[in-house]
Amino acid sequence: MAELSRLPGIGARSAQRLAFHLLRQPSERSLALAAALTGLAERIHPCPRCFSFAEDELCPICADQRRDPSLLCVVEEPSAILPIERTSEYRGYYHVLGGALSPIDGVDPDDLRIAELLARVEAEGVAEVVIATNPTMTGEATALYLADALRGKVRITRLASGLPVGADLEHADELTLGRALLGRRELA
Amino acid sequence: MGPSGASWRVSALELRDVRSWHRASLVLGPGVTVLTGHNGAGKTSLVEAVVLAAVGASPRSGQMGDLVRHGERALHVRATLAVPGRGETVRDLGYQPRVGRRLAEDGVPVASLAAWRRPGSVLVFVPEELRAVKGPPAARRRGLDRVLEAVVPGFTEAVATYGAALAQRNALLRRAKTGDGAAVADAAPWEAQMAAAGAAVTRGRRQGIAMMAAPFARWLADLGGASGGAVRLEASPSRLDGVGDDGWQDAFRAYLADRRGRDAAAGMTLAGPHRDDLWIGWDDFDARRLGSQGEQRTAALALLLAHRDLLRERAARPILLLDDVFSELDPGRRHALVEAVTDGGQTIITTADTGFEPQREVPGAVVVRVPDDVDAAA
Ligand SMILES: [Zn+2]
Repeated sequence: MAELSRLPGIGARSAQRLAFHLLRQPSERSLALAAALTGLAERIHPCPRCFSFAEDELCPICADQRRDPSLLCVVEEPSAILPIERTSEYRGYYHVLGGALSPIDGVDPDDLRIAELLARVEAEGVAEVVIATNPTMTGEATALYLADALRGKVRITRLASGLPVGADLEHADELTLGRALLGRRELA
Repeated sequence: MGPSGASWRVSALELRDVRSWHRASLVLGPGVTVLTGHNGAGKTSLVEAVVLAAVGASPRSGQMGDLVRHGERALHVRATLAVPGRGETVRDLGYQPRVGRRLAEDGVPVASLAAWRRPGSVLVFVPEELRAVKGPPAARRRGLDRVLEAVVPGFTEAVATYGAALAQRNALLRRAKTGDGAAVADAAPWEAQMAAAGAAVTRGRRQGIAMMAAPFARWLADLGGASGGAVRLEASPSRLDGVGDDGWQDAFRAYLADRRGRDAAAGMTLAGPHRDDLWIGWDDFDARRLGSQGEQRTAALALLLAHRDLLRERAARPILLLDDVFSELDPGRRHALVEAVTDGGQTIITTADTGFEPQREVPGAVVVRVPDDVDAAA
């Protein structure tokens, strides 16, 4: 039950309900769920190129050769990729930082995949980096830091304002996010 | 009244287990109400309850736990508040130590205090209010900011953003000092956000003080204080005093970049809008440091009336709550203050002073004897 309640969105009461449900159903089904979870943990690994989730060697997006290699979109977490994909306004590749700068929480540039980003920009012939960190204070600070680090090397753009401030990208609606992508502005 | 003649008003108040009260309820009229009664009768708790229902915090104590009646688990306040342009709402505040606040409006729970509180709805004078003149800079800054929250759009958010970016920069500088993986140069993105939010804060404070200066001088003289009354922003860092609003953001950003070494050594950001102060006095006389108790009280009341004027012109006329102020004033000042607060808006005055005759001195006032006239039935 303690393990269940560690899952996002599952409180103590839901965990209890889930546990009772699992105990009531035939044990083969619980074992099948356990096997699926074990398989997931064994198969899923960070994509070595973009650091999103991958089952094969590369994630499906990095493996897709038809995408535009001149565009690279930087997000904080893999969860931000799906909402951007749903807008159908973006055809480039992604780079997952693994968080946002936050000195209070002890997160420094070295703790994010920023060196890997700079290396990719050099190696992959990227023309534009679209910074899609969350519209929060830590996301903005991270965007400003990246703009400093990339200045002079590549075109740098940031999603247009209009996204709800303080929220994560994964909670933004398709239309708003699509407009923010289309209206992205150059970071000086 | 406000731009549209609007004003805040509390028409009914119920409290449970607040300080000495077990249960109490009170209906309040739209004009001046005087609560009379001996010391310890619970007059101040009634004023405190109005403030709790409006902004969710006590004007007297930072510790909400102090307000819960001895031996009880929790307190509860309910008030019917007329919100300018929105009509009447019923507001609930419950508080239990270690559990926190439970807030509701019209029976609908509200999760955050920031969304529930109504900035600019009340202006309070309690004896502690002298802090607004003689207290630390933070007390004077807060006195100004809580008025600006209602007057300057986006001011509350700018103050919060500035504070959050400041906390990040301070954390970074402290960690850089201890060699904990952080580099002082990485402060730049936080400084950019401090400069952007700080510019909005500074613009708001400059505007607010410019609008308040003349009313303050007038009220100070009317209340029998000195002529030549003045309030000025003593901005931090002072070297940016002469920089106009347009150039301030860039100037402060450059200033912070320049101060990284010294701030890192101190372990904190030594100057910025979080260190702003308000100069209060007359001519060259600094009333904050040199004023007598009486002079500081007159200045605090003049400041309160200047805030009232600003809110009335730019937002809505707030509810005035004057706790135990008349006993300290001579008849001349008393009369001037009564004149000033009977402006058609709602004013609640408490007094224990037997020499004060509200029926005669405050024409049209409703006098409520505490506790006799308060419905304290369970
Ligand atoms: Zn990938």
